[in-house]
Amino acid sequence: MLDNLQFRLRSLFRREHVEEEMNEELRFHYEHQVEKYAASGLSREEAQRRARFAIGGEDKIKEDVREARGVSFVETLLQDLHYGARMLRKNPSFTVVAILTLALGMGATTAIFSVVDALLLRPLPYGDPASLVVVWENSIRHSHPHNVVAPANFADWQRQNSVFESMAAMADTRANLTGAGTPKQVIVQNVTAGFFHVVDVNPVVGSGFTEENWKQGKDDVVILDYGFWKERFGSDPYLIGKTIDINGKPQVVVGIAPKDFNLYVKDGSLTGAKPQMWSPWAVPQSFGDRKESMGRYLTVVARMKAGVTLAQARDQMSTIATRLQQQYPDTNAHWGATVVLIREQLSGDLRPALVTLFCAVAFVLLIACANVSGLLLARAAKREKEIAIRTAIGASRWRVARQLLTESLLLAIIGGLLGLLLAVWGTNALLAASPKGLLGLNSVSLDNRLLSFAVAATLLSSLLFGFLPSYVATHSPIAETLKDETRGSSAGGRRRLLRHALVVGQMGLAMVLLAGSGLLIRSFIRLAGVNPGFETRNLLTFQVSLPRSKYAKDPLQVAFFNEFLARIERVPGVRSVSMENYPPLTGLGAATSIHILGQPQMATAESPVSGSRVVGPDYFSTMGIPMLQGRTFSNPELNEARHVVIVNQAFVEKHLAGENPLGKKVVIHMRDDKVDEQNPSEIIGVCGSVRQMGPGEEAKPNAYWPMPELPYSRMTVLVRTSNAPSSVVAPIRYELRQMDPELPMASIATMDQLLSDSISRSRFTMFVLGIFAAIALALTAVGIYGVIAYSVAQRTHEIGIRMALGAQRRNVLGLVLRQGTRLTLIGVGIGIVAALALTQLMSSLLYGVSATDPVTFAAVILILAAVAFFATFVPARHATQVSPIVALRYE
Amino acid sequence: MPDNHVDLPQGTLDLLILKTINLQPLHGWAISERIQQISNEVLQVQQGSLYPALHRLERRGWIKARWGTSENNRRAKYYELTRAGRKQLEAEETSWRKLTTAIAQILETT
Repeated sequence: MLDNLQFRLRSLFRREHVEEEMNEELRFHYEHQVEKYAASGLSREEAQRRARFAIGGEDKIKEDVREARGVSFVETLLQDLHYGARMLRKNPSFTVVAILTLALGMGATTAIFSVVDALLLRPLPYGDPASLVVVWENSIRHSHPHNVVAPANFADWQRQNSVFESMAAMADTRANLTGAGTPKQVIVQNVTAGFFHVVDVNPVVGSGFTEENWKQGKDDVVILDYGFWKERFGSDPYLIGKTIDINGKPQVVVGIAPKDFNLYVKDGSLTGAKPQMWSPWAVPQSFGDRKESMGRYLTVVARMKAGVTLAQARDQMSTIATRLQQQYPDTNAHWGATVVLIREQLSGDLRPALVTLFCAVAFVLLIACANVSGLLLARAAKREKEIAIRTAIGASRWRVARQLLTESLLLAIIGGLLGLLLAVWGTNALLAASPKGLLGLNSVSLDNRLLSFAVAATLLSSLLFGFLPSYVATHSPIAETLKDETRGSSAGGRRRLLRHALVVGQMGLAMVLLAGSGLLIRSFIRLAGVNPGFETRNLLTFQVSLPRSKYAKDPLQVAFFNEFLARIERVPGVRSVSMENYPPLTGLGAATSIHILGQPQMATAESPVSGSRVVGPDYFSTMGIPMLQGRTFSNPELNEARHVVIVNQAFVEKHLAGENPLGKKVVIHMRDDKVDEQNPSEIIGVCGSVRQMGPGEEAKPNAYWPMPELPYSRMTVLVRTSNAPSSVVAPIRYELRQMDPELPMASIATMDQLLSDSISRSRFTMFVLGIFAAIALALTAVGIYGVIAYSVAQRTHEIGIRMALGAQRRNVLGLVLRQGTRLTLIGVGIGIVAALALTQLMSSLLYGVSATDPVTFAAVILILAAVAFFATFVPARHATQVSPIVALRYE
Repeated sequence: MPDNHVDLPQGTLDLLILKTINLQPLHGWAISERIQQISNEVLQVQQGSLYPALHRLERRGWIKARWGTSENNRRAKYYELTRAGRKQLEAEETSWRKLTTAIAQILETT
């Protein structure tokens, strides 16, 4: 083995020496042969001639010997690379076009892969994510399979299941962090016992929670998020064991979570933001006993036992849910359970967009490969003779093919390297440009996974675009090629056919991409044009949260907010001001069962449902929500509970269709059941519907209470300004500090910003797919231009004859245009069929447009046809300018 | 040149080379001459097959080459068997005998 290696290395590195020895050995043989013939009586010359003849092709022998020595692979590769590089240098324009095309294709592919990889494929920061699941309640009646869970049901699930090794629940909330530095609102995730055991994560610093921490009086401890620890406390290692003030209560820091760890489940988040710390929380006994009214607000995670499959877990959970339905029909009728793998849960809503983009980018790469393949085919025509000669003097087919493939590989490697740079730069530029938090990803960096992908893409595409040209080149009959002085060889014909097929394929792919991006653009225009139901311009929003420790009683809270609003109203530039507990475009709100007096009373689970929101004075005028019927709240109603409510249009349409809503009394189950039943609210007005969850979601029924009806300690203040909203932030902060220096002004944003963020994913997908479609269009234009220009060049002679025989310029123009049009028609035809099939797959990304939208398709066909026509027209015009005399002389 | 030579069956050239240099190290020309002589001019080894075969055998470690001086005082490359080559020769000889005996039997009985 070692000898063998030594032998091979010697062959490779002492190549000149080995070659010399081989020459000497063969010369020695030749001389003996000559002597032998001479000895038999032949003349010296004749002996030499015979000896040469006996030896045969000396170069062939040498080549065979080299091969026998076994180094030829590497050596040939070096030789081929050397030769390939020379060929590429000799045709700089071809090389530059091919490399740029490939760099563009591979760059785009690698860029999207880096995002797909980071979001869909990378290992998750939890122990064995394959057995970690999220368990939801499934609201069958409202077809909402990922509904947050009632504590009582969670307790029963925990008791009754045998498929999970452990189960924990979490609920996030906002709180004020005070103490050193400016007060700040933070997101706290309250977790039940065993949460960190379920996700299988230990703190990197500190010892974490103990069982004790879930007992009353021992729960004043927190674990901090790594990023938050770094940002707020400068990664202070001595923070462990110290206390921080949350809502005015000291909490001991007992741990820092690992760097990548976070568990933000959007479907169940009550704050719509990533948690910054974790705090122990026990399900109160009274909830488990079902003695208190039901609310659903938990997100449940569970670890499947070893050997339990997802299907088994689903089976058992739905059995348990059915049992609970029968046991507690009042609260659980029509409620099932859903079990989702954590990875699916976390990437679920991004997946369709990312998969679409990845397919799109693969198409771009295919188009790029088709382009380069076409270029190589065209060039192969010029090299036909060279290849025929090499084959004639003994190069094997494989040898020639290898040479050509090596050249392709060289192109692909250079293109791939450029593409990689382009990808890293492009992705980071894209991420920087995309709205914060859209992808949950700040930057990508060059690592092994990305590199391996780039290498694989390079090799694959070099095979993809290199195979056809080298196959055709090595399978043309030698003799014919060498004889053939005209241009109509059969290999030439095959090549032409292949190039045409490639261009048609390109057009088909481009058509699919154009259709996809066209549909997204139209969706986005629809989405951006949706009226959200209120006026978003010059509307500032921010949150203020009153700690219970200081503002325990409801009247205190109402008084605080009323005074705060009055102070804001006096700030110059403020036109009007109001507040709301769950304003539009900021995430989940509260919804509950209702009972309209006069309609039959039903079990909770069967009752009609409405959103419930609490608002301040001048709410409807500040927001620009039109009043359709009745009146707004009067001053007394805004200062004490008079049991009045304003409902939206969607409420009336859904629950009071055809009736006069004014004066109807409705029980809204947001407080204690008895209090609610005894104090039904009278509907005094009907307002326009607001799309609370963003322009893409229909407006849902909603009921607005004035603040005293149900005081909230945390409200979002809404300030309508006459100019740019940012100018009033500082004076408002000053007013707030005057009233209570410990209160932070949190989540400051303008409504325009929130609206724009709410459609940012749609905008982002549209934008990226649009870029790909543009690249595809450009590459396809280059492709068809190349084919037509080449064919015009080939037919110069023919065109010259035609013109000499009296053909008019327009005949020639028509001749060339017809060729281009035929290709375009076939390409577009194939493209339409493919696009109709493939755009179906992205229908979840569309809004208000069907996947087969005829307007989009018509527009896209026109664009593609126009570009193809232009790309054909340029060389066609060139053909008409051919001078017959020059053309006839043209070889 | 009498025209009674036959083509070598595939794979037998290696065996012949190993056998030829079993007695003493020889250079390439001598090997081809020796094979020709011993076979009464029936077997002729073309250079085109001989040298690739020699280098292949060397690569496999069955023979090794060293430079020496030929009968007429010229530098020549001599090939000799290695230990592995000797084993290989025995194995190939045995299997060749078996093969020819079997073929001979078939040719005689049918």
